[in-house]
Amino acid sequence: MSVKQAQARTRGDGVAALAFLTPSILTFLVFVLAPTIGVLILSFFDWNLLSDGTFAGLDNFQRLFTDERLLGVYGSTTYMALVILAVNVVLGLLLAVLLETRMPRWIRAFFRLSFLFPFVVSASAVALIWRFLLNKDLGLVNYLLGLTGLDRIDWLGSSTWAPISVIMVNSWKTIGFSILVYIAGLQSIPKQLREAAIVDGAGAWTRFWRITFPLLSPTIFFLVVINTINSFQIFAEPRVLTQGGPGDSSRTIVEYLYDRAFGDFDLGYASAIGITFALVLVVLTAIQFWFSRRWTHYQ
Amino acid sequence: MSSRLTVGHVAARVLTFVILVVAAVAITAPFLWIFRGAFSGSDAELYRLPPTFHAENLTLDNFGKVTEQVPYFRFFLNSIIVSGTVTIAQLITCSTAAYAFARLRFRGKGVLFAVVIGSLMIPIQVTIVPLFLVMSKIGMTNSLWALIFPGIFSAFGIFLLRQHFMALPYELEEAAKIDGASRFHTFARIILPLSGPSIATLGILCFTYWWNDLLLPLVMISDTDKQTLPVGLVLLAGRFSTGSLGTIAAGIAMAIVPVLIVFIAAQRYIVQSIASSGLKL
Repeated sequence: MSVKQAQARTRGDGVAALAFLTPSILTFLVFVLAPTIGVLILSFFDWNLLSDGTFAGLDNFQRLFTDERLLGVYGSTTYMALVILAVNVVLGLLLAVLLETRMPRWIRAFFRLSFLFPFVVSASAVALIWRFLLNKDLGLVNYLLGLTGLDRIDWLGSSTWAPISVIMVNSWKTIGFSILVYIAGLQSIPKQLREAAIVDGAGAWTRFWRITFPLLSPTIFFLVVINTINSFQIFAEPRVLTQGGPGDSSRTIVEYLYDRAFGDFDLGYASAIGITFALVLVVLTAIQFWFSRRWTHYQ
Repeated sequence: MSSRLTVGHVAARVLTFVILVVAAVAITAPFLWIFRGAFSGSDAELYRLPPTFHAENLTLDNFGKVTEQVPYFRFFLNSIIVSGTVTIAQLITCSTAAYAFARLRFRGKGVLFAVVIGSLMIPIQVTIVPLFLVMSKIGMTNSLWALIFPGIFSAFGIFLLRQHFMALPYELEEAAKIDGASRFHTFARIILPLSGPSIATLGILCFTYWWNDLLLPLVMISDTDKQTLPVGLVLLAGRFSTGSLGTIAAGIAMAIVPVLIVFIAAQRYIVQSIASSGLKL
């Protein structure tokens, strides 16, 4: 036994830990840490795909502040992400609570299956389906609106409705996951608590706000964080549905970064955009954790 | 409860049911429409409103046209290879790392774990540019490896499994330790068999994420033959001006049906595994 191994025995499980951690450390170094450092370095360069870069100092960062489109894209990304977050967290909770009311098992299974199914279908397939359904002249959605006497809506071609279409399609696809996580949270609430409240004469409304909601707060917090991170990263839906347009009305920040990097081959500026995006995610997550300390109840 | 069945209760039950039915129809109807389109002989019929259904116009031609216009089965195979390999590799790296963080004592553990959690906030979209440069420097762009390697490390996966491993009772491992079992033996024979649901959860989430991903193949792959299904469907639809709506519908339906079958077969397991792994932060 070598000296090192002897030390490991007495101090802890250093050798074993190293063995267990090696696969993830290696992949982390090469595919997460190196590219992260790479983003930082690239952002100081003027770099296109054909030639290696020239040092550009803070030029790329100055451009961030003068790029009016960037601000607009952040605006539309935030708008769409926040509405998707709200729909998934609020409507998801409503549907999950309704699903947990008394009903025959197979009916519950059918509902659960239909709600979750779009989650496993690829976003580009989903967006293609909706591109047909939301077609202004030939789409089923406008036909149904017509039946109720409403005017046709230019779902994909107007700057008001294009972001709403992206919101609807993304929520349609992702809400099932939130519902499923809520169901898991609801099932972990001890039945005795609800039964005790019923004995005490509490109505369904009171039971929900006094028992279910507080005990569900860790689940709600988890879903807020996950849905925020996911909805700020949307790419496929606007890409396939609207190409980000009209104008930048339904463009997301990932799409904008992609176009700067692989459309304009402006790798330095795209990296600077990437840094702003990482900062936004860090700040959002920090805010959420700060809030969660104040109102999350753990059992 | 039935003794307290009032008008209010009945109304609440009816309302509950109506909301659930409306939501279920809104989610399933588009799929039914696309399946009808896949078997439809003429685009005129597909675009006819209200949607009609004429059994005599049914055809299988659309499926043949899909495989004529794009290398569809190639896309499908590529998608399975990429998602399958990433999932297996991710389960290995995440479970071993999670075990080290949950059970082993070593120096620098706290710092290392903080780094893992911190990397949650740097998604692949941020690092896609240098990732592309790294891949092209080592000559991996335009190969499936470029889609596999970036997905293997998962901070979320390590976190999820660590939470689960920490909740397992220590006594079982103590017994194995007394019997002289190695750390690896304990991990493989005691911890893993007890972790089926959370490993399945991670596997399902990982597989669906990489099965659906559009960004990485768009960036890394330029040969049509090496593309995955999400890009393949967009390519198929891009030829909309020459092709037909029925063909696109058939392409989408062919992408959905295998997922649907696996999903229905595994749905009870999916629900249970997410329920029992208790996703929380």
